[in-house]
Amino acid sequence: MALWLFRGLRKGVVTTRYPAVTDPWARGLPTPPAFDERLLSRALADRLVEICPSRALAREDDCLVLDVGACTACGRCISQSAGAARPSRLFELAATGREQLLKRIAIGSGEIVA
Amino acid sequence: MTGASLGAGGAAAEDRVAQRLHDARAMFGRSLHIRTVDTGSCAVCESEIRLLLAPHYDLHRLGLFFTPAPRHADMLMVTGPAVRAMDTALQKTYAAMPEPKIVIAVGACPLGGVYPEDELAHGSLDRVLPVDVFVPGCPPSPLALLQGLLVAVGRLSEKVSGESFVGSSPGGLDL
Repeated sequence: MALWLFRGLRKGVVTTRYPAVTDPWARGLPTPPAFDERLLSRALADRLVEICPSRALAREDDCLVLDVGACTACGRCISQSAGAARPSRLFELAATGREQLLKRIAIGSGEIVA
Repeated sequence: MTGASLGAGGAAAEDRVAQRLHDARAMFGRSLHIRTVDTGSCAVCESEIRLLLAPHYDLHRLGLFFTPAPRHADMLMVTGPAVRAMDTALQKTYAAMPEPKIVIAVGACPLGGVYPEDELAHGSLDRVLPVDVFVPGCPPSPLALLQGLLVAVGRLSEKVSGESFVGSSPGGLDL
């Protein structure tokens, strides 16, 4: 006990209520995709909806709907989207309502307009 | 399965969730005990849950403990796609837990992402039990689980509703 106290005073508190600094390896975790809406077209969105194995993607008119809760972060959309989808690197995804996990992404022109 | 235990939408459900979270927070000046139920998961979620007890995460320092007895549990942590074969076990476990109790759905399966509703599975946990906190991931990493637990007990606020999942958003996705 005295040793713990001494070490705590010498080195500072070593435990926190929640990781104050994200673990470096957490950057490599598989995460749901984030989309660049400028690069999304309707055709591309439909293709991504088709290849999503967990039904996490759907298209509603000019919106691509990403269900973060259903996403398994498999990476298929990222590999097939030619840059329109990239890992979001977000993993603190706990939600108090299911609808918080539904993300609507506006579909752009399919190319970056200068 | 009773009608009252089925997930209901709308404002009433939100009030109920808010009240549950409030009750739970009032109680969590003390420690919290968690009962896990696997409703047909592939066991990777269990593997991640078990890692919460490793020294690196050290769940006990936060006053959170796992218990094998639902009568001692404040929180029901459910993995898997809510297979119908587990209906009785799930309902008995939920009924045996003292009030207030919260339900946390862990992984893409109980959130409806992997298995559709069919004759074998409900496909999503909120068709069976009122779910208070949803933790996405396949599997959720121990860090994500820890955040989910702390959101459930009100020590952290949820962040995901503020994220747009658009690369050029000011949410600061480092792409």
